[in-house]
Amino acid sequence: MIDERRVPIDRDVDIVTARQLGRELAAEAGFTGSDLTLIATAISEVARNIVVYAERGEIRLGRTDRNGREGIEVVAADEGPGIPDIQQAMQDGFSTGRSLGLGLPGARRLMDEFEIVSEVGKGTVVTMRKWRP
Amino acid sequence: MSVPILKQGDVLIASIQSALTDRDLLQLKDELAEKVGRLRSRGVVIDVTALDVMDSFATRTIRSIAAATRLRGAETVVVGIQPEVAIALVELGLTLDGIATALDLEEGLDVLVEVMEARRRDR
Amino acid sequence: MADQATDAEAPFGPAGLFGPADLERRLRSGGVGPEDRAGIGEIKDEVLKHLDEHVAAFFEHLASFPEAQALLRRPDLMEEARRLERDHLVAMASGTYDRDYVEQRFRLGRLYNRAQLDVALFMGAFHAQMSSIGRRIMQRYAKDAVGGFARFSAFKKIAFVDLGIVVDAMMTEREGTIRRQQQAILELSTPALQVRERLLILPIIGLLDTFRAKQLTDGLLKAIRAHRAKVVVMDLTGVSTVDSKVANHLIQTVAAARLMGATVIVTGLSSDVAQSLVTLGVDLSRLNTIGDLQGGIEEAERILGPASPRIERRPAVG
Ligand SMILES: Nc1ncnc2c1ncn2[C@@H]1O[C@H](COP(=O)(O)OP(=O)(O)OP(=O)(O)O)[C@@H](O)[C@H]1O
Ligand SMILES: [Mg+2]
Repeated sequence: MIDERRVPIDRDVDIVTARQLGRELAAEAGFTGSDLTLIATAISEVARNIVVYAERGEIRLGRTDRNGREGIEVVAADEGPGIPDIQQAMQDGFSTGRSLGLGLPGARRLMDEFEIVSEVGKGTVVTMRKWRP
Repeated sequence: MSVPILKQGDVLIASIQSALTDRDLLQLKDELAEKVGRLRSRGVVIDVTALDVMDSFATRTIRSIAAATRLRGAETVVVGIQPEVAIALVELGLTLDGIATALDLEEGLDVLVEVMEARRRDR
Repeated sequence: MADQATDAEAPFGPAGLFGPADLERRLRSGGVGPEDRAGIGEIKDEVLKHLDEHVAAFFEHLASFPEAQALLRRPDLMEEARRLERDHLVAMASGTYDRDYVEQRFRLGRLYNRAQLDVALFMGAFHAQMSSIGRRIMQRYAKDAVGGFARFSAFKKIAFVDLGIVVDAMMTEREGTIRRQQQAILELSTPALQVRERLLILPIIGLLDTFRAKQLTDGLLKAIRAHRAKVVVMDLTGVSTVDSKVANHLIQTVAAARLMGATVIVTGLSSDVAQSLVTLGVDLSRLNTIGDLQGGIEEAERILGPASPRIERRPAVG
């Protein structure tokens, strides 16, 4: 990641801070129009999961490139309870928080790449990327 | 950042001015539910023009505002969803089924009249 | 043109980029059929009547961009550009698309290159010019929106073939930013038209791919905002096939428009496309579909109710 920025997440205002910074960085990286909103929304989802399920963690944001393509990378990391069944968590509508269960699968649709690593008792790391058109 | 709620006749207008935290959203929900009950409002317009992001939490809260105010006899119209925000909502898989939407406040008030009429006829 | 017969198969344009077959292919892939040529014939006079206005629309659009000053401040270039733009429209409206026609396009492209006019800027100006023409045609056909629309669509088909040639001419001499320019072409190829206050028609012409479908969503939602549209008639008459991604996109566009407060009516759904939508799991009952464009516009009128007084007064005055 290039010019990595970190946003500590432990309260609901941090979610707003993280997504606003994400929008700014994405604009600097050359994204425009609705892409900025899609990126900010995906950040909002993973940041909220940290607050709700892991209490605290951090969001790392930065530019990235691969094979000459430029993009933005977002990492959401926490040391919370972890997710026992990732496949299940990635399904539309699955929620242990009596919510809509759209955060993770939705964030995956909003971005181009989405990886999630989680271990029960250790924590969760979500890595997302979006490439500039 | 709390949201100003204006009373205009039997309609309440909540116009969101800036990005909201989860707490702000929940506060808006409580205040609207309380005011609709106390003022016997018949309609609620939520103006989200200033929201540059509507994620699953914001959408869920707006849906529950609509449900809570309907229980108290008022209809809700959401106005001012930005084009980019609409795209993000659809990609996320979020909908506002059963809640009326309109382009802006002026239009929203018109729609509200239609919805209230329809509701009255249904009864 | 004494040597035209012997020369008919020879390539022309810079570096032999063009052959007669190529022009044919472009016209064909632009979907320009005999009925379009006939349609253009019917509006020819209308276009020529306001020729100066349409030429002016092109340069007025450029005037607001500092990057265009290199052209606008050069009287010699401007004079030639004005003349070529005029010829351009006259040729487009005349309905004969031959070698001379293509050569003329190349001259225009080269001139803009010399003036260092950015391709994207050129296309913006072209779009402004098309809007100017569209406005006049819709006015002329105020009592027959569908008819006016069909003729303007025919004109637009030629316009896009034309645009492709001019852009190619500019591009062959220049490198870079191809993607951005292609994107602009795609954006331009799906403009939404305002028929009356609060009502937009979105004609979808030709093949849709995912990339264009995305442009279409963005463009439509912005147009809804800009025109304060309440109803959109999305006409799919020109679409013969869709894949699952595109189908999904169409559905999403409808959903996004509804979130903004607009109702989308889908018309011109061929039974093939309808069938493949169903096969792809699209619930057609969630779409507001109506047979043809005419029916769609009538339904839209019904939703919108009687025209607002300002609009209603117009025919009475005229
Ligand atoms: N960082 C995390 N740590 C632990 N569990 C998580 C984390 N993120 C997600 N989960 C689990 O995955 C489930 C699905 O998450 P997702 O964000 O898709 O839905 P949700 O948060 O329940 O609802 P929504 O995001 O729609 O409000 C959650 O209910 C939770 O059980
Ligand atoms: Mg979530």
